[in-house]
Amino acid sequence: MVRYEIKKVFSKKGGKTAILALLLLLAVTCFFATDVVYVNEKGIEETGYAAVSKLRHEINEWEGYLDEDKLRQAIEENIRIEQTPEAQSKDWHMNNIAYSWKQGFSRIRDLLNYSFASGFREYDYYRADSLKPEDAPRFYENRIRLLKEWLEKDETKYMFSEAEKAYLIKQYEELETPFYYDYMEGFVNLLEYSPTIIMITVLIIGYVVAGIFANEFIYKADPVFFSSYYGRNKAVAAKIKAGFNIYTIIYWIILLLYSTIVLMYLGTDGWNSPIQADMSGWKCFYNIKMWQAYLLTVSGGYVGGLFMCFLAMYVSARTRSSVLAVMAPFVLIFIPSFISNIDSPVINKILGLLPDRLLQVNEQLKYFDLYQLGGHVTGAVPILFIVYGTAALLLVPAMYIAYRKKQ
Amino acid sequence: MELKIVGLTKNYQDIVAVNDFSYTMTNGVYGLLGVNGAGKTTLMRMLCTLIQPTRGEVLWNGQNISALGGEYRKALGYLPQDFGYYPDFTLWDYLMYIASIKGLRNTVAKKRAQLLIEQVGLKEERNKKMKKLSGGMKRRAGIAQAMLGDPKLLILDEPTAGLDPNERIRFRNLISELAQERIVLLSTHIVSDVEYIAKEILLMQKGKLAMSGTVNEIIENLPIKVWSIEVPKKEISSYFNLYKIANVRTESDMVSGGKAKLRILSAKPPAEDAVLETAVMEDVFLYYFGETAGEQYGQI
Repeated sequence: MVRYEIKKVFSKKGGKTAILALLLLLAVTCFFATDVVYVNEKGIEETGYAAVSKLRHEINEWEGYLDEDKLRQAIEENIRIEQTPEAQSKDWHMNNIAYSWKQGFSRIRDLLNYSFASGFREYDYYRADSLKPEDAPRFYENRIRLLKEWLEKDETKYMFSEAEKAYLIKQYEELETPFYYDYMEGFVNLLEYSPTIIMITVLIIGYVVAGIFANEFIYKADPVFFSSYYGRNKAVAAKIKAGFNIYTIIYWIILLLYSTIVLMYLGTDGWNSPIQADMSGWKCFYNIKMWQAYLLTVSGGYVGGLFMCFLAMYVSARTRSSVLAVMAPFVLIFIPSFISNIDSPVINKILGLLPDRLLQVNEQLKYFDLYQLGGHVTGAVPILFIVYGTAALLLVPAMYIAYRKKQ
Repeated sequence: MELKIVGLTKNYQDIVAVNDFSYTMTNGVYGLLGVNGAGKTTLMRMLCTLIQPTRGEVLWNGQNISALGGEYRKALGYLPQDFGYYPDFTLWDYLMYIASIKGLRNTVAKKRAQLLIEQVGLKEERNKKMKKLSGGMKRRAGIAQAMLGDPKLLILDEPTAGLDPNERIRFRNLISELAQERIVLLSTHIVSDVEYIAKEILLMQKGKLAMSGTVNEIIENLPIKVWSIEVPKKEISSYFNLYKIANVRTESDMVSGGKAKLRILSAKPPAEDAVLETAVMEDVFLYYFGETAGEQYGQI
């Protein structure tokens, strides 16, 4: 039964076209995700696989623990380069040559900009250029100091409770240092583009499974279906299983292809670095490694997508309309972005728990969405997994009951 | 085997689609005759557990079909009036899918599907997509799916709708062939579909059972006589105003003479020279269903 339900979905032109479109969009996403730029000694940008090797070679020369010595070395090297005629020049091409000398430690330079910023929410691209080697010991403590200073400001008064503030500081203090500095373009890019491929996959599978229940009515096949022996029990369950299988299999195939292509091209180096070792994760309060962040991102995408697909199927079972069903994931993904501009702590708390966040866990990891449950403070990510994992499970009996009672 | 319908009623707000319908069926073909909107489909959908009755019950071998649930549906084969299918499935895949939801084991399903495909004359179309089949072929595929579980109760709702005369005859013969050892309830508004194959006919009118019995019983109990007369063509319309006309025949020689032969339902002779005719089922149909029974001029 399940096999035929799946066959029903993919025997339609729409089902086949959706899968082709998904593969095409996967290729496009991989193309952008594997795009790495290397600037050679002549100041000319290089791309492609050769650029990846060269960049890796440059960064590997700086590989090792990002301790005081390494940081001092980076600051000194940065000062030295900044004093060269190439860096001082007003010709952008000469500046590019100067940049080519910095590529190996440019990620350290980015982190220095954040660590020595004038405030927690400030960023100055040139801050690293004004540092002295003796500033190096303050690198890690600055991260905690800036957070504490910010939490004492009025602007955070309504954003966090005292317990939440204490939780943030504790998380910051518990971060294991020094970081291990390594080439990590593969995981950085993998994480950056994962929400794109996850959203595309969920929307397309949502479209594919939306008709699973409604099609019986659209094709007027419902009288034969419901008057059959299993029409009000196992055949309904088979539809749910088919939707689950279609989603699960396609989701993991697409994410596996995406991960394999990107990591094979850019490398798996840096998998065990903390997410804070890249500038995009510097402020994160979740103390996890790159591989854990990626696992959370794809798992979150799976749970969120499963919820959305089951919701689409539930709408399909209730309304007999695949059009309304298809709209469900779109609404859940795009509506929050329309209301996200409202600057209200309450709205932000609600937005932090909407299911679209599960499709972009790597971004969610950067948000300071905190929730206090019975004296225990936690970030939004574990709550999102529990809430939408449970909701997806609850939708199973809901759609089963809704469909089997159809007249 | 016995299907007993007891006081079955279905209301849709103020509309009574089926009104206190009771009947008992055993093996054989039962023809459910009635005009469009008489309540035939609603009755059949209740018999197929697709809709719940407002009142009354249906008993299958003495047990309520709602309580029997899947066990009853296992004994049921249904061809709906508006037969829907999965257009991109091949005929074989379609039948195998239906077999799976009917609870047939794979090996049994394959045997049954193969047998039925041959029986309904679709052997050559086995691997054709359902959407590529002609109207008649789709209907035959429909009967094949209904027969897959070797049902003891076969319900066919307007199975000949939209078929050409050849297909209709073929279909009638097929149903007659399949009717052994099971109850077949066939609804139609075309008398000839059931006149020769039905064990009993049920006439349904405005949701109620208006008359039932064998063809002979129904004809014998017709409370009106059937007459034929020849009238000038110009007088046809005046006869229509006075009587129910079963047929108007204007043969070529009559046309030249300006006359037509009318078949009239009337308790008394409509004219002195009227000839008493033997009633047939079409006359019965016209009597019960009147102008709504057929096309223009009440012809069936």
